[in-house]
Amino acid sequence: MTEILQTSPEIGGMGHSVKRKEDPRFIRGKGEYIDDLTLPGMLWLDIVRSPYAHATIKGIDASEALKIPGVAAVVTGKDLEGYKLHWMPTLAGDMQMVLPTDTVMYQSQEVAAVIATSRYAAADGVAAVLVDYEPLPVVVDPHKSLEKDAPVLRPDRGEDKKTNHIWHWESGDKAAADAALEASDVRVAEDIYIPRIHVASIETCGCIADWDPVRQQLTLHMTSQAPHAIRTVLALVAAGAGLPISEQNIRVKTHDIGGGFGGKVPVYPGYVLAVAASFLIGKPVKWIEDRSENLQADSFARDYHIHAEIGATREGRIQALKVKTIADHGYSDAAADPSKFPAGLFNVITGSYDFDKAFVEVDGVYTNKPPGGVAYRCSFRVTEAVHAIERMVDILAHDVGKDPAQLRLENFIKPDQFPYKTPTGWEYDSGDYGRALHKALDLIGYADLRKEQAEKRARGELMGIGISSFTEIVGAGPSHDFDILGLKMFDSCEIRVHPTGKVLARIGVQTQGQGHETTFAQIIAQELGFPVADIKIEYGDTDTAPYGLGTYASRSTPVAGAATAVAARKIRDKARKLAAHLLEASEEDLEWTPGEFHVKGSPDRKKTIQEIAFAAYTNHPAGMEAGLEAVDYYDPPNLTFPFGSYICVVDIDKGTGEVKVRRFVAVDDCGNIINPMIVDGQIHGGLTMGLAPALYEQITYDENGNNLTGTFMDYLLPTAVETPAWELEKTVTPSPHHPIGAKGVGESATVGAPPAIANAVVDALWHLGVRNIDIPITPPKVWAILHEKGIA
Amino acid sequence: MKFAGTTDIAAPRDRVWAFVIDPNQVGQCGPGVESIEVIDDTHFKATAKVGIGFISARFVVNMELAEQDAPDRAVIKAHGQAPGSAVDATAAMTLSDGDAGGTRMDWNADVTISGSLASLGARLIEGTANKMIGQTFDCMKAKLEA
Repeated sequence: MTEILQTSPEIGGMGHSVKRKEDPRFIRGKGEYIDDLTLPGMLWLDIVRSPYAHATIKGIDASEALKIPGVAAVVTGKDLEGYKLHWMPTLAGDMQMVLPTDTVMYQSQEVAAVIATSRYAAADGVAAVLVDYEPLPVVVDPHKSLEKDAPVLRPDRGEDKKTNHIWHWESGDKAAADAALEASDVRVAEDIYIPRIHVASIETCGCIADWDPVRQQLTLHMTSQAPHAIRTVLALVAAGAGLPISEQNIRVKTHDIGGGFGGKVPVYPGYVLAVAASFLIGKPVKWIEDRSENLQADSFARDYHIHAEIGATREGRIQALKVKTIADHGYSDAAADPSKFPAGLFNVITGSYDFDKAFVEVDGVYTNKPPGGVAYRCSFRVTEAVHAIERMVDILAHDVGKDPAQLRLENFIKPDQFPYKTPTGWEYDSGDYGRALHKALDLIGYADLRKEQAEKRARGELMGIGISSFTEIVGAGPSHDFDILGLKMFDSCEIRVHPTGKVLARIGVQTQGQGHETTFAQIIAQELGFPVADIKIEYGDTDTAPYGLGTYASRSTPVAGAATAVAARKIRDKARKLAAHLLEASEEDLEWTPGEFHVKGSPDRKKTIQEIAFAAYTNHPAGMEAGLEAVDYYDPPNLTFPFGSYICVVDIDKGTGEVKVRRFVAVDDCGNIINPMIVDGQIHGGLTMGLAPALYEQITYDENGNNLTGTFMDYLLPTAVETPAWELEKTVTPSPHHPIGAKGVGESATVGAPPAIANAVVDALWHLGVRNIDIPITPPKVWAILHEKGIA
Repeated sequence: MKFAGTTDIAAPRDRVWAFVIDPNQVGQCGPGVESIEVIDDTHFKATAKVGIGFISARFVVNMELAEQDAPDRAVIKAHGQAPGSAVDATAAMTLSDGDAGGTRMDWNADVTISGSLASLGARLIEGTANKMIGQTFDCMKAKLEA
């Protein structure tokens, strides 16, 4: 990391709360989302879905559907089988059906596609397709799925894999962790379930596939977080199917995206169906999910059944951690985790604490549910890890009779221990956990709150204070360890400076609301001194943007942001040569201040970056290439480790069991900050998305595998009414290895908030003998406890 | 979902028996039944419109008189489908002599609802099913006692 020079507000480099360049179009209703787009001659595709969670398909009768005016075709799995397109690979290297030929595996699975001249005709066609099913035994519970007599859900995996167990993954030293636990004075064990939830982005998934049979060109307009990866997957699938669609003739183009949060990383059957239909018919085909399809069939997140055990001294000095987890993946592992990490970065579960020994194991399991799971606004299973460790540390504090803040402070990794090697193999780049927690304690007035709590408890009132001191792990990732389907997880930026001193930059990552058009311009403004207003950022068109792995897991700033800074520095190096030529000075005698080079000691002998840009096209020295451009593919040397401390105060209604979040203080440290306003916005949104699973959200199934949360009537999202006024503060601990010292912030709050809330609720009820309540902590759950304790 | 109950019908047992094994008669008492098509002695097909809350669906239901032990016991199996939804049910009826020459019918049913109807109407299903079953027996009682 190099020193960050202060730029003027006109330049608007790092640290300025520049207003978002994308907002004028959004607030005027001029955003362009996929469903806003209509192409000439376009057809609509709608999907017949299975009512059964597990059934044999005995037959599909499309004759009535084909009689409906406007219905052009009905596509079934048997039709796709002819092109070997009935199965497709998932990003996790498993297989997933595009359409089934004989068996459906979850309720609402795609069974057939109807293509019609209008959205309405397509829907009518769907209702008229008759499918003859014979129900099969349903496996909903992942524990039962592992039992010997459970039906084998995926016989396609071959004779040697007659089990619903997908994979086993472990990290750390089991024998050492066992021995350390054995030697501990205090051992605390708990089962913690992190329920299945959904990203529930405002815009559902969809695409328009446009195959031009004359030009042999496929254009796929879609709402995706990773357009380049989608292009490569399509090219590979097409090659496997023997179709004449090769990668140079595939253009994936994203438009404005109404929220991604991980759910728009995977390849869904609908995309493949739209492409296949367009290829077969030779016209553009649009597929847009409705809300229930989105909630019932798209990739879910979480669904981790965790058993954790922590060992400590009598005084509460943490020593060992052991974690065993069952991961419910539905009928196919469609996670978008890096290849070597089937349980993502879950082994960051030692968190902010100086553990001597740790061992983590995870087993992936099939059930009759939709495939997944995606990283929902968290970097690959970090939410699960942070929730478990923050709950465990809190239970330990209560068990040894120590204040949870004090126990954390005593066990944190200390600032002088960085770079810090965890017992599960990560190297934390930088941190000052005590500073963040102290700041949060001061801001919320912790000591007074504890007094208030004691007084209230004496009066029989229920009030709790919860802390979460999380460490995130983001910015995947270094190519020696990180790839998806073999594609290394570098990212990229290409910058072109025009003769008039204006800049066009294209990045390999994809914005879904993060504000890339603004923040990436600020990085370039910081490095080159062009005003942020003169810099245009493009992304999401695979014909023009440099290859990148996309935006998820808080990797945009850590990886593509670094690529942008490095590309800009390449330009600055050339600009220095040009300036030396223009000023007739030697390069070594030039000094850079944002926006200009001047001769050391004579600040008037200077050339502005705009003058230099013009010279690059009009007056470049002999032997130098004309132009001022650079590209960088950045391979990060390490991940980045943002952190923070959150404190939450809750009051519990003794009559109804309702939890009310009275105050919530969030102190975040995401390293150097590009745009403080955007960081605050990210944290506001992230905290609300952390409040949601803590108190409201859960996808549930009945014993037959029916999804009982297929609308927003049953799948509860918090609104402004439920959301408290967030109180934000920051500390800044730069990442030492990142070119601009930034760490990423998109997910910290979603990761850190749920345990703070859960810890506060348990803290309010601990004196009643309550040790753990699984999220979402709904009024019925709390009321049942209060009722059992004779209070409600 | 499992349901069970007892209904006393003021009609002789042979008449009740004849009624319950005749699709055209018993079928008219099925909830929302719009048409009945008799395929053979033990198989028939019904079209019925069922609504739960704000969702309604037209089901095509294939029924089979799976067991019959005249005039004591009958078991009917049903497998119905509607766009995006399905219902699978087994219903058993046991007849015995009731008071004053009437008939006592002990019945139980095991009903599985799948798909959109289960998914979107979950909170209302049990109440609705109970209501429909009540209506069915009220209808049978009314027709037999008429």
